[in-house]
Amino acid sequence: MYIVILGCGRVGAELANLLSVEGHDVVVVDKHPESFSRLGDAFNGLTVVGNGVFTLVLQDAGIERADIFCSLTNSDNINIMASQVARGIFKVKRVISLIYDPRKAVFYKSLGLDVLNETGLFASMIRDKITDKILSGYLIETNELGVMEFPVPEEFFGKRVEEMSVAHEFNITAIRYVTGGVFIPDAKTVVAKGDVVLGVVRMRSVDKIKKMFKL
Amino acid sequence: MQIMVIGGGRVGIFIAKRLRKEQHAVILVEKDQKTATEIATTIDALVICGDGCDPMVLEQAGIERADVFVAATGRDEDNFVCCQIAKEQFKVSRTIARVNDPENEKAFNELGIDVPVGATVILGKIIEEEASFMDFMNLYSFEKGKLALIRVDLPDNAPVVNKQVMELQLPPQSVLVSIVRGNEVIIPKGDTVLLPNDYVIALTLLENKKQLLNYFIGEVS
Repeated sequence: MYIVILGCGRVGAELANLLSVEGHDVVVVDKHPESFSRLGDAFNGLTVVGNGVFTLVLQDAGIERADIFCSLTNSDNINIMASQVARGIFKVKRVISLIYDPRKAVFYKSLGLDVLNETGLFASMIRDKITDKILSGYLIETNELGVMEFPVPEEFFGKRVEEMSVAHEFNITAIRYVTGGVFIPDAKTVVAKGDVVLGVVRMRSVDKIKKMFKL
Repeated sequence: MQIMVIGGGRVGIFIAKRLRKEQHAVILVEKDQKTATEIATTIDALVICGDGCDPMVLEQAGIERADVFVAATGRDEDNFVCCQIAKEQFKVSRTIARVNDPENEKAFNELGIDVPVGATVILGKIIEEEASFMDFMNLYSFEKGKLALIRVDLPDNAPVVNKQVMELQLPPQSVLVSIVRGNEVIIPKGDTVLLPNDYVIALTLLENKKQLLNYFIGEVS
């Protein structure tokens, strides 16, 4: 794939390295040429110096044939404007923008931008680490779903997965065996002592599910 | 009218002062605390210190009552974003953005800002016209530059001199608006005769401007 990344900060450079190593064609754009020193030796893409809200700079980066454009500078407003230029003027099919301000992130999601809100994401990850060892809410961005992970409680040893699921509220999607290895079960799969189940949960049902499994 | 102006630089202050003179209610939002305090002492408008791109600041500054929103900071991306927030989130009916870099005009034009104003381009056009020929001048552009009001100074040998207005065959989509003779403004009638050194003021579609000039003053390069 042909990928244009705007902003060679820590996030942009890390992403450029990952994608370049995987064999994608990567072009990184940044105002400051010295920031390209963050790119590793393995990076074999191109670099373009310039202000990425400008159509000419983006054209230099080959935006017209890009499959993906990622706007990852440390300025929300630059990311917002550049991604709309990429989407609206250059018709790039997939545009991802990093927005730090949670309120702006919500607003621009509502305008149809594909937004990653680093602040919100990190805050909820840290919150999950602090307050809840078995639940991750950050994995699924809508805030409606979370992922729970816990060892099978004693009274469910030998039971089937369908007996541990609650329709529309909690669904077991994977089992980690005590012997190692992860398995995607069906409804009839039987769980045993020592197995750890991973399931998708509706956020508003978390308390009910916790009660059900005495967590 | 209630007008909210973002950016307390020279442009923002100038706009705010002019609007106050015309009795509009003006709220000026400036990010820098020191600048905001300074402006507040020199201008008869409500000055609020805060980031004009932050929806919460705009809400607290009373954007819901604003009829017009003007983004006049020195950064194009900030002007772009705050106009978008004003329009889409707070439903302000008219948003006007200063475009600092001519390279960004296309983005502003195509991505939904009501009125992008590119001072650099406007200045450039005026200077170019003043420099290239003194016998015509673009007075005003409407509809994003599609329609232009122009002034043409008629030299002695202009092909239209000594003709009656009814004899004129103006290019399509052009109207003669008035004739200026010395200090006198004449609203032309069929029997009005054009004299050397008159100015004519005409309204025309931009694509016919050259044709119109050719008609009034002969071949122009």
